[in-house]
Amino acid sequence: MLELDKECPICLENVHYSFNIKNILSEVSVKIEAEGITGIVGPSGSGKTTLLKLINRLISPTIGRILFNGEDITTIPVKELRKNIGLVQQRPFLFPGTVKDNLLYGPNIWRINFSLEELYSILSRVALSPDFLDLNVENLSGGEQQRVSFGRTLANNPKILLLDEPTSSLDIISEEIFETTLRELAREQIKIIVVTHSLEQTKRLTDQLLFLKDGRLIEKTDSKTFFETYDENKIRKFFKPTSNGGEN
Amino acid sequence: MTILPDIEIITEIIQRLSISIIFLILLIALARWQKIELEKMFIWSFTRGLVQIVIMALILVFIFTLTDIFLLVVVLLFMCFFAAYTIKQRFPYPRVFTIESIAITLGSFSIISIAVILEIIPLKGEYIIPMGGMVIANVMVMTGIVLERLISDVKKSQGYIEAALALGDSPWNSVKNVTKESYRAALIPTTNRVAVLGIVTIPGLMSGMIIGGTNPLLAAAYQIIIFLMILTSGFIGSIILVFFFIKELFTAEDQLNLLLLQKSRS
Repeated sequence: MLELDKECPICLENVHYSFNIKNILSEVSVKIEAEGITGIVGPSGSGKTTLLKLINRLISPTIGRILFNGEDITTIPVKELRKNIGLVQQRPFLFPGTVKDNLLYGPNIWRINFSLEELYSILSRVALSPDFLDLNVENLSGGEQQRVSFGRTLANNPKILLLDEPTSSLDIISEEIFETTLRELAREQIKIIVVTHSLEQTKRLTDQLLFLKDGRLIEKTDSKTFFETYDENKIRKFFKPTSNGGEN
Repeated sequence: MTILPDIEIITEIIQRLSISIIFLILLIALARWQKIELEKMFIWSFTRGLVQIVIMALILVFIFTLTDIFLLVVVLLFMCFFAAYTIKQRFPYPRVFTIESIAITLGSFSIISIAVILEIIPLKGEYIIPMGGMVIANVMVMTGIVLERLISDVKKSQGYIEAALALGDSPWNSVKNVTKESYRAALIPTTNRVAVLGIVTIPGLMSGMIIGGTNPLLAAAYQIIIFLMILTSGFIGSIILVFFFIKELFTAEDQLNLLLLQKSRS
């Protein structure tokens, strides 16, 4: 089992990303800790999703480099990297077929045999009962689809999990179960990096925080210090949905 | 053999063509009404097509007498490259001309060769050129549909494709649902034409052969053969096109080529 390098599990070195002359991310340099749950917070259009896609290498930096376990990700075979760094997108994008087909999508790529018990265990982690296994994904609600999408990434047994607003379409109970699962995974030494808009979720869930604004990293802090240091009004400004939400 | 008709026939041709312009005007009016922005393309295609077909009519008599396999191949190859060039003008993406040339040439030549070797069609210009032309034209249309559909569906399915890539899947696998739909879109119209053959459509090849004095049953048999050749070569051409074009849709790092997708109008 791959262990995360404590010195540099995920490091970004002067990362820029631009598309069509538009700068989406600029001068992002940061080391993301190996343990716990790191939250990425920032207004819409601040580059949060782009940051996750860069780490999963769905896109490449225009300038700069990203390291995984101290190695430049461009030197790691891309499929292997994506297996180790799983990405759960904001929308579920389930493949046609059953829940089982979706959960086995990753293991089938890697020709890993999955027992029924293992499938049930994944379903339980994403708060779905075993009855869901043979259901067609078209018959699932938005929240259920989101949970299957999470389970599909978990089935790949990643070392780092990138989640893009994973609870945006979940009800309160499912959200609680989801957060419990994330904390369990973090205890199992799986690094979680989660994009969130919710102040409450950030408070409950995260250990470290990265604040992005206009494509720049404006603050990196541990959550406890952040919530102890700032008063509530100032904290709320960081979570404003508009592009002038955070503070420099 | 005299090629040019006498003055009376020339007058009749000009008269009929001039009156037929009414259909082109109607076509342009409909395009304007529905704002599909194809007016210039209609005018250009019909003008070009008219010039080409007139030249072809004048040299057809000569081409039909060809039995030299080398010359027949040269004529068919010219058709393939011209078809690829036509597609390239519609889709200004990298390597489209090369990929279409390979797809159309391999798709059509493979099936025409089998048909000649198995003596389904005789190795004579009067058979090879019109039937080959029909095959090449249809492969061009079908690969064009596949190309257009592939790009627009990849764009629409970007999230699904990225979901598959993010799990470690290959670009080829990540678009397999999209390619399946592209093939279906290209094959279904011709298959539908076959299904209504003789009831709704009396196809050109058969009609022409009957007018030329061929036994109607033999003409009907050739018509079925040509449809089989069109569908098979179109499918082969489409698979070859997808095989090569997927490399353009993705970067060497198994990422979607976002710049290329952005270029597409659909």
